[in-house]
Amino acid sequence: MTHRVVVTGMGVATPLGCTVQGFRDALLAGRSGVGPLTVFDPGGLATRIAAEVKDPDALGLHTDRKASLARWAAARAWEDATARGSEPLGDRALAGASFGIGLELFTMGDLARSRAPGFVPPDTTRDKLRFLQVPSDLVLHVLCKTYGLRAPPLLHVSACAAGTDALGAAWRMIATGRRRWMLAGGSDSMINPLGVAGFCTLNAMSTRNDDPPRASRPFDRTRDGFVLGEGAAALVLERREDALARGAAVYAELAGYGNSLDAHAITEPEPEGRGALLAMRKALRAAGLSPDDIDCVNAHGTGTPKNDPAETLALKALLGARAPRVPVCATKSMIGHLISAAGAVEAVAAIACMNKGMVHPTINLREADPQCDLDYVPDGARAHPQRAVLSSSYGFGGQNAAVVLLHPERGP
Amino acid sequence: MVLSAAGRVGLGPGAPDVECDPTPWLKVRKSRKYMGRQDDLAVTAAGRALEAAGLRAEQLGPRAGLYLSIAWLGFELEDIVPVLDASVTEGRFDLDRFTRQGMRKAHPLLTFRCLPNMPAYHISANFNIQGGYLTTYPGTGQFLQCLEEASLALESGEIDAALVGGVAFQRNFLTAWQRARVQPAADPSGAWDAAAVLVLEREDACLARGGRALGRLLAHDVTYAPFDPDEGFPQGDPDLGARLGAAEGPWRIAEFLQQPGAVHTHRGPTVDGFTVSFTVEVPP
Repeated sequence: MTHRVVVTGMGVATPLGCTVQGFRDALLAGRSGVGPLTVFDPGGLATRIAAEVKDPDALGLHTDRKASLARWAAARAWEDATARGSEPLGDRALAGASFGIGLELFTMGDLARSRAPGFVPPDTTRDKLRFLQVPSDLVLHVLCKTYGLRAPPLLHVSACAAGTDALGAAWRMIATGRRRWMLAGGSDSMINPLGVAGFCTLNAMSTRNDDPPRASRPFDRTRDGFVLGEGAAALVLERREDALARGAAVYAELAGYGNSLDAHAITEPEPEGRGALLAMRKALRAAGLSPDDIDCVNAHGTGTPKNDPAETLALKALLGARAPRVPVCATKSMIGHLISAAGAVEAVAAIACMNKGMVHPTINLREADPQCDLDYVPDGARAHPQRAVLSSSYGFGGQNAAVVLLHPERGP
Repeated sequence: MVLSAAGRVGLGPGAPDVECDPTPWLKVRKSRKYMGRQDDLAVTAAGRALEAAGLRAEQLGPRAGLYLSIAWLGFELEDIVPVLDASVTEGRFDLDRFTRQGMRKAHPLLTFRCLPNMPAYHISANFNIQGGYLTTYPGTGQFLQCLEEASLALESGEIDAALVGGVAFQRNFLTAWQRARVQPAADPSGAWDAAAVLVLEREDACLARGGRALGRLLAHDVTYAPFDPDEGFPQGDPDLGARLGAAEGPWRIAEFLQQPGAVHTHRGPTVDGFTVSFTVEVPP
């Protein structure tokens, strides 16, 4: 790799707020963004709770929530990166986008309309693109057009690992000299009838409908599945020398990325966490660091019965004797699982907390699980200076990704 | 870096296959119940490619990577009609009926069969691919990016072999609608369900295992011109992706490999703003 890559802009839309500072403060306060599902009436579904974005400005007027959220986060990241430098961002011919964008599910209402007698399909391009289903790549083209990004955009469909893969791919493109800077992140909202019902059929989600803020319980013995969330994060990544040349203040260095495939089973992660371990080791190797350099882990931490023990084993194998002393936090305990956006939002959480010298808590962890015996920061936010943080995401179907984030001044 | 094999499967008017049965390549036969059409296509193309390359699962593992472009989300009407029929009142979608009755009509494994990352799962699990990956969407521009990332991973020594391909399940109601609005000039009856997977290897690794180079990727490039989809999609090359969707790029390279003693080049614009080019040398 020939270039170091730094983060100079961040924007978020999350169930805990739509500014980076507001999001960080809510995380450090241990607030939950989970509540009753209001986007639609979940009626007879087994799960009737979710972590929704409540800011109407971030949701805009677009019918596709994930597109609105992506546009909001990208705009905030762009403004941020521009404001933090005395010169504008560089050559847009070598600037691109890399995003994890959620599944392009169709709407049942439109499907019913399309099958009714006398149906007349929409005739304008705009209406056609919003009828029945909105293509996932639509918003990526809009972002490229809006910001004049002329390098080929990349959309990731690695499920829950997509947000981290998006950051990692952007890192690799900049580090190898193929891009000068990139807008990278993730956006998702599966809070719609088909999305929520689909996860219900998999029995993957918590059904603690009577106590939404306590429903997401990563690493707790009583966890019963994840809570579906929605949101987006965008980060401006650029070559370090370019950032310094334009006088931009740096949030963090993205120092390494690795990914791997479990090649194991469709319904569960590899139980020893071998795939997760491989991804984390590759990220550290790419960063030129050793496990001893890691001061904190932002875990995938879904709160599903099978993820949490496998992830714990992977972290023990990675960190060795230090494992019990390295704080491991689960952002999903507060904002639920943002699927394709999760890795990007959690990277922002990790950077924002690292720069404050804090680790946010894993809330709702009250009953220890003997299989999950690391320091998950259960008792509130903790002051903990960090030089390097590992942030990881593990996708349904065994796609594993991890990135290493360094403090801008204290990084090893 | 060499191209050591290709595997293809295509179903549709004039296509080479009349059925797509991935069973011979499944490690666990009952895993078939989780597979949709896109997964059948992906496993079959990958299986044919690896068989042609003479690569066995035990030779792959963490030293092999997977780079796939997956086409637009496909969905069988027959899978959703029972759900819809149980979710309408006087011809209109009734959310309450959907949550109480309609969803109970859904096949419990339906979600597994349509997620865009599932082809990558099924290939990795059945052929023991554990190294790096890129799973992207939805066409030929993205396939070229897969080729680029795979090439870098091979050149850097991160992996010894890469499966690089495209998967397009297109003969379904949802993709038909998608094609009609994005690629209106394409003949709607001409689309195939198709997948094509190439095996790219480090030359030293290929030779060391007794493999044979069928060809060399001399050059590949992808450029992009941003556009606003609300103002319409770019014209694109009417032949590029109209029949094979995301499988177009690897399919063409596989065809090149069958024409020895020449240097083959393809260049053209896609309907989503990319211009792709690739050049393959195939020795006599």
